[in-house]
Amino acid sequence: MNATTERNRSFSRRGFLGLTAAAASVPLLAACGGGSASKTGSGDAIKFWDMPWGTPAYNDAAKKITEGYAPSGSNLKASYQTIQWNNFYQTFSSAIASKTGPAVSTGGGFQAFQFEQQGAIAYADKVIDALKKNGQFDDFLPGVIDPFKSDKGYIAVPWQLDMRVNWYRKSLFDKAGVAVPTDWNGLLEAGKALKKIGAVGFMTGAGAGNFLGNHAVIQMIVNNGGGVWDENGQVDVMNDRNVEAIEFMYELYSNGIIDPAGVSYNQDNHDAQWKNKSKAAYGPHVFGLTNRVGDSSGDLLVADPIAGPHGDKATLVFPNNIMMYKNTPNQEASEAFLVYYLGKLKDLWQQKLMNALPVFKSITELPEFTADANNVKIVKDWQPIAKTFAARSTKLTANTAVLDGGQALTQFAQTVLTGKGDAKTALKAFESGLKQVVKS
Amino acid sequence: MTTVNSGLARARRGVAPGGSGRPSPSRTSLNRASKLHGQTSRTYFWLILPSVLLLVLINGYPLIYAGVQATHDGSLIDAGNFVGVDNFTSVLGSEAFWKAVQFTIVFTIVGVFGSWAVGLGLALLLRTRIPAGGLFKVLLLLPWVVPIVVSSTAWNWLVASPDSPTNKVFTALGLETPLFLADPTLAAITVCLFKVWVSFPFMMMMSAGALTSVDNTVYEAASMDGASRWQQFTGITLPLTARSTYISWILMTIFCVNDFPTIYLLTGGGPVDATTSLVVYAYRKVFQDFQTGPGVAVAFLMTITLVIVSTLLYRQIRKSSVE
Repeated sequence: MNATTERNRSFSRRGFLGLTAAAASVPLLAACGGGSASKTGSGDAIKFWDMPWGTPAYNDAAKKITEGYAPSGSNLKASYQTIQWNNFYQTFSSAIASKTGPAVSTGGGFQAFQFEQQGAIAYADKVIDALKKNGQFDDFLPGVIDPFKSDKGYIAVPWQLDMRVNWYRKSLFDKAGVAVPTDWNGLLEAGKALKKIGAVGFMTGAGAGNFLGNHAVIQMIVNNGGGVWDENGQVDVMNDRNVEAIEFMYELYSNGIIDPAGVSYNQDNHDAQWKNKSKAAYGPHVFGLTNRVGDSSGDLLVADPIAGPHGDKATLVFPNNIMMYKNTPNQEASEAFLVYYLGKLKDLWQQKLMNALPVFKSITELPEFTADANNVKIVKDWQPIAKTFAARSTKLTANTAVLDGGQALTQFAQTVLTGKGDAKTALKAFESGLKQVVKS
Repeated sequence: MTTVNSGLARARRGVAPGGSGRPSPSRTSLNRASKLHGQTSRTYFWLILPSVLLLVLINGYPLIYAGVQATHDGSLIDAGNFVGVDNFTSVLGSEAFWKAVQFTIVFTIVGVFGSWAVGLGLALLLRTRIPAGGLFKVLLLLPWVVPIVVSSTAWNWLVASPDSPTNKVFTALGLETPLFLADPTLAAITVCLFKVWVSFPFMMMMSAGALTSVDNTVYEAASMDGASRWQQFTGITLPLTARSTYISWILMTIFCVNDFPTIYLLTGGGPVDATTSLVVYAYRKVFQDFQTGPGVAVAFLMTITLVIVSTLLYRQIRKSSVE
């Protein structure tokens, strides 16, 4: 090997290494630059992220509405993306942290409050002003906008209501020869009569991924004029109304009126009990239960709200909302798009793609909505008495997100639904668990 | 004598008296060799650098970031304020954490040894000549092959409600209908059994592989010496497959401790935390209670525990190899 070949060899090796280093640095540089490259620049569209709120047809329709947006002036067009519920909080958090998130989105019921606490939310005051101008603000059902008003501004704008209402199967009440309850005492008596025919007088479920059992327990608390928070939004679990409500739940359990297997029912198991014409006779569930379980027989009906021992009538509502983020190519464009989208919501109910209560009165008056008598009853009797998870306060906060689906509530609800211990012990453990995770 | 031996040894290596055993290079060739050696080292360095960088980025960065989260009080978006080891102390002082530790230990012990016992038993059975043995092997692999979402749905259908097939069998026999997933004790047992059912095919394959390395003549010799079946099992099968067994135990321990879907899909960790393992607890801390720091602290504690357990079992492997 002569000096020339040695030099050539050395050169080619260094050349090879140089090329390798250059090649290796490409993805690195791309990754480093990714943040800025994928940031929504001024020439980008408004990114709208939406959840699968119904069948795939819902997302197709929502996408069509989004892409049909024709912005005026210097506003931007909008793009649509569906985000799966699975790990959605992580998806949003990661995207927001890397500044690749949406400008506008739907999402979890309390998501806006969590991200507002972290400084990521753009307030919707100008959207509310625009809705006042175009008349849509006056179209909101009573009380739906109030929970979103904070000292700094409107945190989000509601677009649909996830209601908890009590349903009953008429044929089972006829068979048991008992009236549909209108108060707690009636619920107890009806439950005993239904048990004799093998039916369940208070059906709920709290298994894997099913939070309806958690909601059922809080619904009973709220129904009795109680709540997890005091008027100032501080944890207040051990009040008399709560204790009374949970003692009543224990009474229901000890009389065999609550299904003892319910604590393990996931959503499918839970729905199966309602589909079964001889099992679930009465209990809280969501808006549109008949569609959910595929029962169009007319035997599944919305019951009247029941009165607690002090005459209180109330239920739970989760106002799902659309929020705007600070990371937007243009805030005015985000606002313009949101005003447009809220004006188009009617299409979704007209196409019968939504299994939730709309927030606008005009939509509740559509023939496609009023065709179902259960819908009309929910709007007339249940929506006016609905309270949020914030009860007895009126303002939703990030803490309500910790309550919904958190370990403290799940453990509490499962304790009650398995009839373990007593009301005060269960409530004390709940309060202790909750205080560990809420931020004062 | 030493001199003689050392001289012989040097002679066997072909080294002349007074020589070093290496060719005596000139100063130029020495410099050249040293330069070449340096170049080779640099080449190796540059060649492995991309891999090292990738490893650091893929493993090191998340680990460091997790360390930051575990020592801060923030969220997934913002790390928040530094709190030192507060997250660790708060987690270690929590009753729910220790309940999760307890269930994780039970779940892991049952998962590892239950699936190993069933897997080894079936591997021994399939070693014998049975009709359609190949078909049985394929069928027995199904629990491992089927996606966990599907198998958990199937188990849920089997046991979830009083109308489920398994419950109906109990009712038909005149027994009280068991609440397999609603009773805390039964739920824990059901989840452990589900884990054994999902995992035994893996253990069966590991055991079957190890058994093929055991020569049949060893058993024949033992038989001729009058060893019983049990003696052959304890004296030949177990010791000769020990290395593979320890490896499968290490792997299954890691699988069990880190197993999220088996538990979460079937019970969600309930009822009343009866089936909440550490990984489920960590998940719920981060994504349901939104307490990122404590949740990541739990994950760190799990990792440390797993490293210790794996190291202990690895030592057993080395010990069995030496023996």
